[in-house]
Amino acid sequence: MNEIIAIYRKEMKTYFNSPIAFIVISSFLVITNWLFFDYGDYPFFAINIADIRGIFDYGAIVLLFIAPAVSMRLISEEKHKDTLELLVTMPITDMQIIVGKYLSTLVIFAIILIGTLVAPISISFVGDLDMGIVISSYIGFFLLGATYLAIGLVASSFTRNQIIAYIIGIVTIAVFFLMNGMASGSGLIATLFENLSVRFHYQNFFRGVLDTRDLLYFFSMIFVSLYISSTALASRKYR
Amino acid sequence: MINIQNVTKSYGAFDAVRDVSFTIEQGEILGFLGPNGAGKTTTMKMITCYMPPTRGIITVDGLDVVNDSMNVRKKIGYLPESTPLYEEMGVRDYLNFIADVRKISGQARTSAMDRVIEVCGLKQVINKDINELSKGYRQRVGLAQAIIHDPEILVLDEPTTGLDPNQIIEIRNLIRQLGESKTVIFSTHIMQEVQATSDRVLIIDQGVIAAHGTADELKASMSGQAHIDLVLRNADKSVFIESIKEISSVKLEDVILQKSGDLEISMNVEAGVDIREQLFDLAVAKQWKVLEASPSAFTLEDVFRKLTNEGSNS
Repeated sequence: MNEIIAIYRKEMKTYFNSPIAFIVISSFLVITNWLFFDYGDYPFFAINIADIRGIFDYGAIVLLFIAPAVSMRLISEEKHKDTLELLVTMPITDMQIIVGKYLSTLVIFAIILIGTLVAPISISFVGDLDMGIVISSYIGFFLLGATYLAIGLVASSFTRNQIIAYIIGIVTIAVFFLMNGMASGSGLIATLFENLSVRFHYQNFFRGVLDTRDLLYFFSMIFVSLYISSTALASRKYR
Repeated sequence: MINIQNVTKSYGAFDAVRDVSFTIEQGEILGFLGPNGAGKTTTMKMITCYMPPTRGIITVDGLDVVNDSMNVRKKIGYLPESTPLYEEMGVRDYLNFIADVRKISGQARTSAMDRVIEVCGLKQVINKDINELSKGYRQRVGLAQAIIHDPEILVLDEPTTGLDPNQIIEIRNLIRQLGESKTVIFSTHIMQEVQATSDRVLIIDQGVIAAHGTADELKASMSGQAHIDLVLRNADKSVFIESIKEISSVKLEDVILQKSGDLEISMNVEAGVDIREQLFDLAVAKQWKVLEASPSAFTLEDVFRKLTNEGSNS
């Protein structure tokens, strides 16, 4: 446990000693809030309904580009600078390294989430927000971000090049996000694709329902991603 | 302390290390010598648990590096070849991070920090960022990282590469100082370094051990031969090579035509044979001017060149 915290603290220092954390957090908030309040055919200010779903719809898209930017450096940078060699020869398991790093990205994302609270809080003063739906939506959004970050971590653990990690991250996340639209009809393949798709499970949270199947889906995605990343670290042993 | 038994490491079809066996005794400084790509780094990576051997067994203080990896890692301090450091961190932050991972806390942390700052001479830079440091200081931070948990064993992969002569001497002194209480294995491709710092030398070439022993033992193994360096003016290279064959006990090692037109020759002669007169007569006959002629004892460098060249010719 101490080892995980050591890694976590080091990553947080790196994020906040450089402009990375600031850039990532502020760009997400600026773009998402702008899209929500003032963009498209039905901007919030025009439709006049106390509903913050737009935050999560737009947020899911913006996060598709932001989350891999947070996680791309996690392993790639260590590989590129050879610091990974030192890290994996210290008394710490590969999984502890992965979990410590992953935790730091979750905290960055939690800060982003707190930043988005401005919208529901201000709207709750002027209209009637369904708090149940707001809370379940936030849980869904957190799980969505956590899954994106975990996939980004997988991409980072396979290459020493951060740009490649970023692009592979975006593409993989996009595939999982859009999967439910790839096969139509009600056949086995279509059902499979739908159930594997991030968007399919994500949408349920906006109805104010916490379904165990959706929770299980996100938790499995995260667990499998962390497992793959850890295995990728261990692959040095089998070369 | 470290026992390596019939270890082979293969990358696909290529054997980076082939059936290597040796032991390192407690408190010993072992110089690991070899040309680039000989398998030094690969061997060190296996000892430090970075990767397991393909075949064979490595034990550290009786613990297997594969099955008891975590306990082995606690005993070892490792400085990889490229001195990997987190550029964006401060020196103190970095050492604190290593101490965190190695679970050194409280009073032990404070005294460990004081000790490595003192031993590695980091007082002036402890509050700087790593990316502001010179190469020499980076190397010292790398060493500080390796000894912060006061390990029994130090593995240093080419610790003096890229340093200037003063820094090299500082790091060598540091290695010797650390070697007083620890088992040290360090690699290099510089002969003087091994001679200056280590108790025992292990020469590795193309993945196999070419020689093993103290520096004196290795030099003794070359006895039976003497070495002469010669510089001639007005001599033609091919004529020289042709005419030196008349002196049967000479074995040419190297003939270099210098920019000045002088010929620089190094050759081996059977021990006990004095060829000075023959050389003089030859020079007079061919009207060469002898600028320099110096016999010399064999150095470890000669041993190394002989062993590693023979390896690549066969």
